Amino acid sequence: MSLPAEPVSDKQPNRLALWMQSTGGVVAVLIVVQFLTGVLLAFYYVPSVDHAHATVSYIEKIVSSGSWLRALHHYGSQWLALFAFLHVLRLFWSKAYVDRRIGWIAAVLLLVLVIAAAGTGYSLPWDARAFFSTRVAEGLMGGLPFVGRLARLWLLGGTSISTITLSRFFALHVLVTPFLILAVTLWVIVWRFSRKTCWSNVSRNAIAGGLVFVALALWCLKYPAPLGPAAEAVSAEYLPRPGAQFLWLYQSLKYIPGGLGSIVGVVFPGVGLLILALLPWLNRSAKSRTPLLGRVVLAGFALWIVTTTIAAHLSDRRDPRTHEQLARQAAQESAWRSEPFMPTSLQSSQLRSQTSSAGGAPVLYLKFCADCHGAHGEGAQRGTLKFPPLLDVGAKPRRTPEDIVDLLKNPPAYGLQPPMRSFADKLTDEQMREIAAWVVTLKK
Amino acid sequence: MNKSRRSFLELLPFGVLVGVVGSISGAAFRFLRPRLSAAPDQWLDVASVSELSGSQPLAKKVLAEQISGWAISTEEHNVFVLPAKNQVLSPVCPHEGCEVMWEQSRNRFSCPCHESFFAADGSRISGPAPRGLDALPTRVQDGKLQVQYRLDNEQERATHA
Repeated sequence: MSLPAEPVSDKQPNRLALWMQSTGGVVAVLIVVQFLTGVLLAFYYVPSVDHAHATVSYIEKIVSSGSWLRALHHYGSQWLALFAFLHVLRLFWSKAYVDRRIGWIAAVLLLVLVIAAAGTGYSLPWDARAFFSTRVAEGLMGGLPFVGRLARLWLLGGTSISTITLSRFFALHVLVTPFLILAVTLWVIVWRFSRKTCWSNVSRNAIAGGLVFVALALWCLKYPAPLGPAAEAVSAEYLPRPGAQFLWLYQSLKYIPGGLGSIVGVVFPGVGLLILALLPWLNRSAKSRTPLLGRVVLAGFALWIVTTTIAAHLSDRRDPRTHEQLARQAAQESAWRSEPFMPTSLQSSQLRSQTSSAGGAPVLYLKFCADCHGAHGEGAQRGTLKFPPLLDVGAKPRRTPEDIVDLLKNPPAYGLQPPMRSFADKLTDEQMREIAAWVVTLKK
Repeated sequence: MNKSRRSFLELLPFGVLVGVVGSISGAAFRFLRPRLSAAPDQWLDVASVSELSGSQPLAKKVLAEQISGWAISTEEHNVFVLPAKNQVLSPVCPHEGCEVMWEQSRNRFSCPCHESFFAADGSRISGPAPRGLDALPTRVQDGKLQVQYRLDNEQERATHA
């Protein structure tokens, strides 16, 4: 794309101020990027707890350009939140809430929707980060005054986080919020171009948007989007860290005693944004006077976000143990990236109820055990986690079929540690016996 | 503002949009391009040769491991063994790909979709199917009849050629 070499206009007194007015163009371009990359990611992603992480890994490792497109979507959402906020600030600066009400309200709504989209999108890869962010969302909803219990149940789709919760976040992320964002964007575009259009202004917006896109595209070539270990394979030491647009919330929640988290994390920002949206009416009587309320809310937000974000960075850097653990996680992630992709086993419904042909693994082994121990009991490696092979396991002490059935019910009693977990609630005794009988036949 | 400058300014936003959409589309083409997985020529056990006899086609099931993108699955396929001819027929109708069934009482295969009928040896009797049922590659290993399951022999041959 070509950019004009000469400045757009020499006669304008303050060129910087004019370029400051191009936040809308940047927001528009970033929204287009989110829509395009989001649609593409949906071609491979599967919203279910047993496949989400595998499909995102597949996008990262196997699909051509997958890593770049996912990085565009991931970092684009963070840049979008930043520019949506700057856009609100800029409109406030130019008193848009007085004479351009629709533009103002649309900007505040977009900010809310962009944050909602990012919040729901965070859960989708179902890695450790996603799981913890879902937990935090659950806690924030549950702590709301009056409606907390119901809000939590409705968000989760049940009493605990499950694959249903992931489906809900998926539907909210790819259908509900994009539709609302599209509606608001079209509304503001129609409104914008029904007024007298200053084309040099529109072009300035377009140039700014284009430049930001180039910067984002280059950034994403260098930095892939993070993907932590799968939610079910996470170790106890794992330290989850949210994306840049939620660091303020993460850091604030450290300072606030449990019960008040929802007030600070949801109610305060909600009331603040509501005040901003209602500013055209709140300031009706005093158009010329300084809208003190708006200033307080915006300055408060800006100060809050900047200080807590900086504090989050500093506290991670200062504590040597945290610093070390985060470095270890980064090393694990880059090691994981260089490992080959392992397909996830998938059983067709026809086969689920029956055992496969003689000599083959029982279907329930393939369903529950093969992911970690391999389809033929050969073991596997995920990141730095090594899953032991089961070959010749029958020759070891305390591994008779009866022992294995007990072990499946209570792994710690046999000295096994997570991620090996109890299958007492998943398998019947008979099913465990079937798996155990097959496992002891495995030979190197 | 002169006219050419104005039209340039009007075109510029579209230029930026084309640039953004274009660069993502380039990646999208590679991203969405179907992955040609080399057909794994697995030999699948059908049955022991000793248990295959008679003049009737025998319905058997074979289990094939299939990798599709991120998923690995065990697919169950039906095949028909012709003990007399030592052949294994694919159940896939060469018309539109539905699976035929064996009608014992009328001694023929019938396709449930568009009423193609095939004789007990797989040859076409009537209906829209262009040819008889395809025979799959077979071999005998350690007393077991094995088969390579392919969805469409004709197409397979065409892509291999």
